[in-house]
Amino acid sequence: MAQQLVKKDDDRDDEAEYSPFMGIEKGAVLQEARVFNDPQLDARRCSQVITKLLYLLNQGETFTKTEATEVFFAVTKLFQSRDMGLRRMVYLMIKEISPSADEVIIVTSSLMKDMNSKIDMYRANAIRVLCRITDGTLLAQIERYLKQAIVDKNPVVASAALVSGIHLLQTNPEIVKRWSNEVQEAVQSRAALVQFHALGLLHQIRQNDRLAVSKLVTSLTKGTVRSPLAQCLLIRYTSQVIRESGNNTQSGDRPFYDYLESCLRHKSEMVIFEAARAITELNGVTSRELTPAITVLQLFLSSSKPVLRFAAVRTLNKVAMTHPTSVTNCNIDMESLISDQNRSIATLAITTLLKTGNESSVDRLMKQITNFMSDIADEFKIVVVEAIRSLCQKFPLKYRSLMNFLSNILREEGGFEYKKAIVDSIVILIREIPDAKETGLLHLCEFIEDCEFTYLSTQILHFLGIEGPKTSDPSRYIRFIYNRVHLENATVRAGAVSTLAKFGAAVDELKPRIFVLLRRCLFDSDDEVRDRATLYLNTLGGDGSVVETDKAVKDFLFGPFDIPLVNLETSLKNYEPSEEAFDIDSVPKEVKSQSLAEKKAPGKKPTGLGAPPSGPPSTADAYQKILSSIPEFANFGNLFKSSAPVELTEAETEYAVNVVKHIFDRHVVFQYNCTNTIPEQLLENVIVIVDSSEADEFAEVFSKPLKSLPYDSPGQIFVAFEKPEGAPTLGKFSNVLKFIVREVDPTTGEAEDDGVEDEYQLEDLEIVSADYTLKVAVSNFRNAWESMGPDCERVDEYGLGPRESLAEAVNTVINLLGLQPCEGTEVVPPNSRSHTCLLSGVYIGNVKVLVRLSFGLDGPKDVAMKLTVRSDDETVSDAIHEIVASG
Amino acid sequence: MILAVLFANAEGNILIERFHGVPAEERLHWRSFLVKLGADNLKGVKNEELLVACHKSVYIVYTILGDVSIYVVGKDEYDELALSEVIFTITSAVKDVCGKPPTERRFLDKYGRICLCLDEIVWKGYLENTEKERIKRLIRLKPPTEF
Repeated sequence: MAQQLVKKDDDRDDEAEYSPFMGIEKGAVLQEARVFNDPQLDARRCSQVITKLLYLLNQGETFTKTEATEVFFAVTKLFQSRDMGLRRMVYLMIKEISPSADEVIIVTSSLMKDMNSKIDMYRANAIRVLCRITDGTLLAQIERYLKQAIVDKNPVVASAALVSGIHLLQTNPEIVKRWSNEVQEAVQSRAALVQFHALGLLHQIRQNDRLAVSKLVTSLTKGTVRSPLAQCLLIRYTSQVIRESGNNTQSGDRPFYDYLESCLRHKSEMVIFEAARAITELNGVTSRELTPAITVLQLFLSSSKPVLRFAAVRTLNKVAMTHPTSVTNCNIDMESLISDQNRSIATLAITTLLKTGNESSVDRLMKQITNFMSDIADEFKIVVVEAIRSLCQKFPLKYRSLMNFLSNILREEGGFEYKKAIVDSIVILIREIPDAKETGLLHLCEFIEDCEFTYLSTQILHFLGIEGPKTSDPSRYIRFIYNRVHLENATVRAGAVSTLAKFGAAVDELKPRIFVLLRRCLFDSDDEVRDRATLYLNTLGGDGSVVETDKAVKDFLFGPFDIPLVNLETSLKNYEPSEEAFDIDSVPKEVKSQSLAEKKAPGKKPTGLGAPPSGPPSTADAYQKILSSIPEFANFGNLFKSSAPVELTEAETEYAVNVVKHIFDRHVVFQYNCTNTIPEQLLENVIVIVDSSEADEFAEVFSKPLKSLPYDSPGQIFVAFEKPEGAPTLGKFSNVLKFIVREVDPTTGEAEDDGVEDEYQLEDLEIVSADYTLKVAVSNFRNAWESMGPDCERVDEYGLGPRESLAEAVNTVINLLGLQPCEGTEVVPPNSRSHTCLLSGVYIGNVKVLVRLSFGLDGPKDVAMKLTVRSDDETVSDAIHEIVASG
Repeated sequence: MILAVLFANAEGNILIERFHGVPAEERLHWRSFLVKLGADNLKGVKNEELLVACHKSVYIVYTILGDVSIYVVGKDEYDELALSEVIFTITSAVKDVCGKPPTERRFLDKYGRICLCLDEIVWKGYLENTEKERIKRLIRLKPPTEF
């Protein structure tokens, strides 16, 4: 990566313009380095050569092992010189060249000598170099000196030892932790920087000991901290202590708040800002607590220093997400930042304003943003587009001006990510605001007339196919779609053909005309386009007369594709061409259990084009379909509930098995989803032996084994039980997987003829009360509660005993009942001592249930709960109480 | 952690770079990203006027001094304000060594000194010294005056 200096033009042939390193070459410099070996050292010359070596290293030049060793040995000779400047260079050079472990020994004794030198600066530098190149064994030898150095009178020596400690803590924590007394002493140092370094190290040494950190913070917040940098560290540690101490004290005051607030009056801006930010990030911060912090941040907004403006607007932007009203006061200062030279500041200001603005300010804001958009980079534009999207969702009445803005910027130049963000936003607005649909669709149509991104064109065509036919005048979109067939590449053309066909299928009057267009596509140069046109023409009803398209045909062509593509791919790969045609029904429909990484990924709300409304069927539908395809389950009646999959094996075991519990009125079906993760094995006749001895009221009635379970191709086993009708019967089941295993040759993929019987113990499985309740939300709980009436109401009080927190208690009860929390009442505000949670759902037998839970803290940790249940059937109300009483 | 300190000339060529805790394969990316950032924004900016940017959880504070642009990248405790402290120390030290905002030539003339200053200011990703007078003495191996 060597960055050569650009050769200067001849007409600028002024000597002053030449680089002193012009034409520098590694070989020559290495030759020059021989001066280090001269018996009479020329300190000036040696310094110059070291500078050249440093320059080479900084330009990314690398030395071979031999070269580095040679330079290193030569440099160590320079310890003989008494020249201070040269010695300083030598220290730097040794650090830069970082000698290998076997070479370090050469320089150790010189450095040890310097470490004990009377010259302070030798000591400081020797410590830094030694710590850079040392390993654990040497460290033990020099530990005594380092401990002394930490409390050295010379602040440079102390700082050198402390900063070395910070680095050494990563590699040799047990040694550095022994220095805690000395570091503690250094924290009290009068030298500002020593205090800063010591505080940093002390906190790192004690970071896992909450009590010690809390004590440290308590004592320092009362004392004086000299360095603003150390003060900033202290503020950070203080907020950490506040966070970990959880709730308010009994008096309701937040510990250390006064300290943070007093820091807002510190003379250093850095400290003021740090304190302001710490306050805004307090858990459950109140408006009263926020006010002083917001005030100082507001002052920073008009600071002449861009860094302060940036810091302030960035913090306010975050506050605006949770407390928009608290930030409103800053709107005027924020508006003036829209024209800030620094685009990062301007973008943050705009997005903050979009969050705090009210409906009446939208138009004015949009005007300002329009001017601003032309001179910022795409990444900032995306942020603005996303903010506008949420603004529009907040003020749907303003959709006209916001949609206009989006369509205008869509016409301007921009990269893929930016355009995608705009298109996604328009799509979301179309879906959420019915009035915006027709204009939005036309904007999208206009966009694909001149769109350079195939991906976006095809996605928009797909979306048009879904939404277009439902508009008042579907024919107006046809021209835009058909133009694609003439003007675009094959991928877009194929997409356009499908969209045309969707219009034909959905709007009977358009069908004859669509047929004319589709017939023209039969002569396309691309196979896929022709194939699609042929398929649609043949299936949609041949002659193209105005007739209603058969529902089966519609489902076949445009219905959801309920086979997971991964499974289809695996099956197709496993399929060997033979007389027997590939049977799509043989492809398993069960979605393979997610990998751990996917599970950890936070659930994202589907946005934009990525999730068309007619997406894949819900899991409930998919289960219903699978179950109805098994004749033995046909007379079980309607499926009441399917549980989420419960893992019966640990992650990364030979066989991955999870189970879904399907609850019917008189039956329970366990669907075991099995995956064989060993490529060298083929499992056959796979069954699950279920022991129901701890589930007396259940009787096994049917078991459907799995004929074969090849590697990485999931399959299902079903076991059905009968149970008392409509009753919430509970029980525990133990499971063993039994199968015949055949070895597979991984090279040929052929399985051996002989198999061996084997079994595999799975985890136990339970039917719990929550399996008999269904989460069903009500839109207005109060109305639903009133209309249900108190006829079958049951009220009782329960003591839940000591709990970690109120939130934890609320969560436990919600999970126990398996009902849907309403109106966001599952969230317990921090620090509250009482809470009401509203739940709704359906109990087995299709009985609607509404629940009101009132929690209160009784004493420091004890939680008491009042449970009020309303339903149409008093036995059901009792049953809900029974769940809580026995849970 | 101060992830990077980087000096570049007017053409965007690197003069000095120091990375701390940045894997070797990511350095090229950072180098070109910073140089581009400077090319886009530093035109017409006054000496030592600080510019700031952030990318995910990483902060960048940068400025121009004579012919040389200076970039400092940090994360966690080294946020924009701490970095502005770091860059302020760097610019004062460089000005001190060069006597004024440097031309590229002057910067290269004083290259060794500047490397030493940097060595005193940032130590493997941590801020070590902040006062230019002290740094000036330290690079000559003289103890600080207040001592």
